[in-house]
Amino acid sequence: MTAVVEARGLQRRYGEQQAVAGVDLQLEAGSVLGLIGPNGAGKTTLLRSLLGLTRCEGELSVLGLDPRREQARLMQDVCFIADTAVLPRWMRVRELLDYTEGVHPRFSRAHAERLLARTEVGLQRRIGELSKGMTVQLHLALVMAIDARLLILDEPTLGLDILFRKQFFEQLLNDYFDEERTIIISTHQVEEVEHILTHAMFMNRGRTLLCDSMLALEQRYVELRAVGEAATRAAAIPHLGQRPLLGGRALIYEDVNRELLAPLGELCTPALADLFVAKVGEDNGHD
Amino acid sequence: MTDSRSQRWRSLVRRELREYRVSLVWTPFAVAVLLTLLMLAGLFVANQFSNLGEIVLDVISQAQDEDGLSVNLRMTVDEDGNRVAEIVTESTESLAGGLEPLRRDYQVEAAPELADESLWSFASDWRFRPYESAAPDQDSGESSGPVTSLHPLLYGIHGIMLLVLLLVTANYLQGCLYVDRKDRSILFWKSMPVSAWEEVLAKLSVALLVAPALFLVASVLTQWAMLLVALVLSSRVQVDALGLVLANVQIAHWLLDQVGGWLANALWALPLYAWLMLASAGARRSPTLLAVTPLVVLAALEAVLLGSQTFIESVWGRMPSLTPDGASGGLFLQGLPWQGGGLLAMLAGLCVTAGLLWGCVWLRRNRWEL
Repeated sequence: MTAVVEARGLQRRYGEQQAVAGVDLQLEAGSVLGLIGPNGAGKTTLLRSLLGLTRCEGELSVLGLDPRREQARLMQDVCFIADTAVLPRWMRVRELLDYTEGVHPRFSRAHAERLLARTEVGLQRRIGELSKGMTVQLHLALVMAIDARLLILDEPTLGLDILFRKQFFEQLLNDYFDEERTIIISTHQVEEVEHILTHAMFMNRGRTLLCDSMLALEQRYVELRAVGEAATRAAAIPHLGQRPLLGGRALIYEDVNRELLAPLGELCTPALADLFVAKVGEDNGHD
Repeated sequence: MTDSRSQRWRSLVRRELREYRVSLVWTPFAVAVLLTLLMLAGLFVANQFSNLGEIVLDVISQAQDEDGLSVNLRMTVDEDGNRVAEIVTESTESLAGGLEPLRRDYQVEAAPELADESLWSFASDWRFRPYESAAPDQDSGESSGPVTSLHPLLYGIHGIMLLVLLLVTANYLQGCLYVDRKDRSILFWKSMPVSAWEEVLAKLSVALLVAPALFLVASVLTQWAMLLVALVLSSRVQVDALGLVLANVQIAHWLLDQVGGWLANALWALPLYAWLMLASAGARRSPTLLAVTPLVVLAALEAVLLGSQTFIESVWGRMPSLTPDGASGGLFLQGLPWQGGGLLAMLAGLCVTAGLLWGCVWLRRNRWEL
């Protein structure tokens, strides 16, 4: 397998603030990585470092190129949606397609027009007149019509209603993703992307809390749902975090003997959001 | 490869023209239409122009007399905007025979509403000499301007177009690397495989070549319209109208002068263009303020500490001059801007430009966030 992203000791400092503090990341082709972290965790800075949009220190290679020196060349194989509503508002949809067709060697205008035909985004519409949801649909159609090897999405569905969000990720998975392509998604809506992820990375205060495949996470972490007396006994076993349930507790354990927990209640794989809350809580509790 | 590269450049330039559609594309042609309408209105409605038209007709009619009279129309617009036209008819035979020449003067009353700020001064001195164009210019003492009679009027039109072009270009340069940072669309532009150098050079080429080309086309069209008006005017008196008008316009000289004049001045002013772009690339709030403040501060420091004005004079010297000595307005080859300073100053300016553009690219790569 080819490493699409390789980063070692990646750092980015804004004055006194360490936005990214020594992040390591290795991602292979065909992965879908979910980058999850609270506001200000350094997700956007990390993604912008991978894209060559901001300076950073440390070893970094994306598709064999150094984004810091070869940003424009990298963009032939990398697509990104950095935020909602960054498309130029003064442009018409047709003009946007003209421009992309003119400067991007891997863009298929016919494909983009086919994708747009399924939406209500007309080619003559001015982008500034489109709703937020339609703007994201347009951006996604544009990105999906580019035959890129790496797609980076930084909060692509922020501010959209649930219907648009669901449609966005379904389209991404069904019409775009294949084993040759790699996707990195940063989002707060963890529950909505969890089922499409192959890898997850948690960040807090510029540092990596966790970075592993979903398969490894399932093996490593377990959630116990215990009620009554069993819940009290379960809480005595060292755990990452817990949350109240109706009449009991749900506790998340790391690298624990499952046979030891089995008698205390029901075992399951923790939801990514719950695991994230537990890991961040643990990290914040250490300081 | 060449095709895809030229397609890239076309796309980059077209993107600029679409974003600044109003100022770069519509404005020159709107000004052209406006000037043409003004010309027509002046000829057919306004009294002074109607009078002038009558006078011209009279003069040309007289010139048709086969009694040896040659006719010269001289019109002067001085710095105060006072317009004086005089028509001189001379009997060449009588001159040859040692007799007193006939002379009649006409005076058109002043048009003070045209007089205003010296910056806008298009003081001109133009002459209508239908029968002298083939002969060498006898009035060599006043040969600093174009020698043919219709040129100053055409150049006046051109001067107005260039003034608008300068304003539009300054506005474009200040906004071109700032507006997309402000509306965050830079995040989209940066997702395209276009390098910062390509972006900056495409924007500079729009300011340096594409926008002037559009304005020059509009200007030339307006001037052709003016010539057409002259043609219609002349044809009303059944003279060889086409020959008459063409005899008063040196087309090749006129076009070379206007196109070449602009390019020469634009190259000279290139450091100022690049400076405006640097302010645009670096500004967090106002590119105009960022462009002007350092110049004012440096000029003030020099004035206070050294008591001199070299800096501000050298900056001012780079400004395209709209009223070169002896010309009627516009930028022309007669006075190449670097004639005083020499080629070295020109090269120095280009070096400074390269440095400033490098600064634009660096800012575009590393300091694009507001």
